[in-house]
Amino acid sequence: MAGLVTTFGAGAMTNSIGEIRDADFLFVIGSNTSEAHPIIAMEMKRAVHRGATMVVADPRAVWMTTLAQKHLQLRPGTDVWLLNAMAHVIIEEGLVDEAFIREHTENFEAVREAVRKYTPEEAEKVTDISAEDIRWVAHRYATTERAGIYYTLGITEHSHGTDNVYCLANLVLMTGHLGKRSAGMNPLRGQNNVQGANDAGATPIFLPGYQRVDDEEVRRKYEESWGVALPPEPGMNLNVMMKAVGKSIRGMYVMGEDILLSEPNVSKLEEGMNNVDFLVIQEPFLNETARYADVVFPSAVFAEKDGTFTNSERRVQLVRKAVEPPGEARADWEILVSLANACGASWDYPNSASVYDELAKDAPRFAGISHERIEESAEGPKSGLQWPCPDPNHSGTEFLHEGGVLRGKGLFSAVEYRPSEELPDQEYALLLSTGRTLYHYNAATQTRRESGLVAKQSDPFVEIHPKDAGKRGIASGDLVEVCTRRGKVHARAILSRQVRRGCLWMPLHFHEARANLLTNDAGDPITQTAEYKVCAAEVRSVEKDGAEQRYPGSYYAMNGPGPGAGGERRS
Amino acid sequence: MTDRSITVNGHPWQAQEGETILEVAARHGVEIPTLCHDPRLKPAGACRTCLVEIDGWRRLAPACATPVTEGMSIVTENERIDRHRKTLLALYMTDHPQSREESERGAPDQLFDMVARYQAPSDWGVLENKRQGRPDDRNPYIQFNPEACILCARCTRYCDEVESVSAITLAQRGSETTIATVDAESLLDTTCEMCGGCIDVCPTGAMAEKIPLVRGDKPERELEKVRTTCNYCGVGCQMDLNVDPDAREGQGKVVKVTSPPVGTTTNDGNLCVKGRFAYDFIDHPDRLTQPLVRGEDGELHPTTWDDALAKAATGLRGVTERHGPDALGFVSSSRCTMEENFLMQKLSRAVFHTNNVHQCAAT
Repeated sequence: MAGLVTTFGAGAMTNSIGEIRDADFLFVIGSNTSEAHPIIAMEMKRAVHRGATMVVADPRAVWMTTLAQKHLQLRPGTDVWLLNAMAHVIIEEGLVDEAFIREHTENFEAVREAVRKYTPEEAEKVTDISAEDIRWVAHRYATTERAGIYYTLGITEHSHGTDNVYCLANLVLMTGHLGKRSAGMNPLRGQNNVQGANDAGATPIFLPGYQRVDDEEVRRKYEESWGVALPPEPGMNLNVMMKAVGKSIRGMYVMGEDILLSEPNVSKLEEGMNNVDFLVIQEPFLNETARYADVVFPSAVFAEKDGTFTNSERRVQLVRKAVEPPGEARADWEILVSLANACGASWDYPNSASVYDELAKDAPRFAGISHERIEESAEGPKSGLQWPCPDPNHSGTEFLHEGGVLRGKGLFSAVEYRPSEELPDQEYALLLSTGRTLYHYNAATQTRRESGLVAKQSDPFVEIHPKDAGKRGIASGDLVEVCTRRGKVHARAILSRQVRRGCLWMPLHFHEARANLLTNDAGDPITQTAEYKVCAAEVRSVEKDGAEQRYPGSYYAMNGPGPGAGGERRS
Repeated sequence: MTDRSITVNGHPWQAQEGETILEVAARHGVEIPTLCHDPRLKPAGACRTCLVEIDGWRRLAPACATPVTEGMSIVTENERIDRHRKTLLALYMTDHPQSREESERGAPDQLFDMVARYQAPSDWGVLENKRQGRPDDRNPYIQFNPEACILCARCTRYCDEVESVSAITLAQRGSETTIATVDAESLLDTTCEMCGGCIDVCPTGAMAEKIPLVRGDKPERELEKVRTTCNYCGVGCQMDLNVDPDAREGQGKVVKVTSPPVGTTTNDGNLCVKGRFAYDFIDHPDRLTQPLVRGEDGELHPTTWDDALAKAATGLRGVTERHGPDALGFVSSSRCTMEENFLMQKLSRAVFHTNNVHQCAAT
């Protein structure tokens, strides 16, 4: 997000989901789209069936590779090498969009210099992708008019996540694939309202609408609106906050997150939690974090309240109350109002629409949006309103940067490769990545209460390459111990050629095998996003199981995904 | 795109190259009935209810699968078409459940609507339905009721063309033709990803949601639909919660989820396994129903809202008084609404005077 704001001036998908089907080239990197964003995957499938070329860059042979023209199965954490080499080829072959660079960007020369040494041949040694493939992909990307980049946490959850985003943005800017339909740069958001949470100012640097807290004029506007003095210094971001828990952070208020399941290197965090004086949580279910809570507020779930979620394509849509919450549970917004008033404030919001109105009033990007307008749009061809939407007569914005980059000039950023913080060595010889599966969601407080999803995927598992398993005497279905320098967990081994040799992959959803006891909390220097995707690990068998285990998602056989409807795998 | 001049029911219309008769008619608000058509799928011409008469053509032609050509003259309603349609619908009914109540235990059955609309005869006798189902399929969500199937193949085409997993297929021949999996395996053991698109596209309810059927919930026509936004990933699919307002002693229960019509929302009528099926958590017995506070004994105990709010306020203020405002950290949630995130950061900044607030998806 920080990377995108720096480069373009807005941290969001530049295109709309509905534009994907018309793309002619799709570069999907670090995104297991069919499992993490199944509906976006359907749009990509539609594009491919229409004749578009799709390239998937991912260390794992995820399902989408079955439809891809090429699968770039790179070594985890070497994205900068791959992307810089693509930039190298585009410059070398003279495929840059000179006019776009001149009119809409700055700092291109720095990138031209920086990528000079990233030749495809050298990149092949680091990434394990052939120079020929790198040239082919770079050429196709640069020469296809409607070429879109789609990425997820496989790009950002690295200690060099922001660098990865810069590299992608460089490709977009040098080819001018921006500000038009079906061509742009699209981070696919993992949570229903991650876009909206940022938009609404739930960040230490920005007040609502990406207005900086250290901008005096902005602060004065809000001080006037809210009638109180506001702190001028940016606060701690989440990763810093988690490391300060029990040290400088002595009290916490946590709404709707199980930090003890979701944050990296949790055993360190648990130590810190013991030194917290006071913890309030607000949750529909008791979770791991509740063990430390002094007060627990029972909250309503989405079907029990009104409000809005903003999706990946900046579309603000309504959440409507359908049923009553159980017992005395209340909507989160009602609880926050009550608590503010218990602390002496005098907040008065008759409903969630009035909260939105206050949010929109001082944030120009959303000023034209209201619950009422979204309600009216429900009858239209597409429901909801996409920001920027500066006034009540504005119909919203389908794709960003049309007729010029929002920032004024798109900023090129020269990036040098830095290896991941912790790589395999003699002691921990394998590389562990973590991620999501189709059948569960994050901490799985919702999905593991769903009998059907549990039938499909009941137990924690770890994917291991058959060669690595053989060397360690592990058979499919064995109970194994996965350990890193930070902790160990037990899971069933699934022998799979989906993962590269030397790599392990684990889902993050299972509380009895918390992948985040293993992960490294080394953060990206700018965003502090943790390195969930790369750490050194080892694995050993602890209990034999005679039964051959199927991949608990069933479509992956031993050799990775089978052929999809699009025909045989082509690479 | 080149324009094509055509005549429909005597009216001169413009159409575009590649458009089908059905598409042009729909654009002009002329109703042509169909059971097998779906804008997301390639035309199949399978159900034959959309047959129209084209000047100079000896046989009736399926409107869904016939592209317009220059000068084409089309009639969508006349005695011949009506006779054909009545015969066809009457034949469909011979091996179909005979009453709406019997067929519509879950989703609505459009065949009954069409029989009523076109006054098709319903006394042509009853034939034994020979299609094989998979009664032992242990998959949790999707049930195939072979007796209600009309072989329009919307489900198999959706599975091929949209979801692209090809888990189900047409199998057998003649009157035994059915919707099958390889070796009649359970969907759990196939490439199926349980998106439930087959249920959504089925015009007769032959593909049905298992859980509401097993639970004996009210049929869909007796439920209230509430349009909302899915609470899982960031795509923001719109969906309709189908609510039984009388259940849970009048508190309401979400019985199932259906997708809005094709073309109206970002998800274009599609949903995934979580969006369509994973809502048992809403009225799960594990839900918290009362505020809890930690007592002297170190355990959490139920209490009143007033007490919990007072304790929370005192506790948080105590931290500020002892260690300063920046000793507090507020973790907001990307799972909660815009409004809630707004209030959380306002609480942090305006009430507790710290910018230590971040939403949970930031790490």
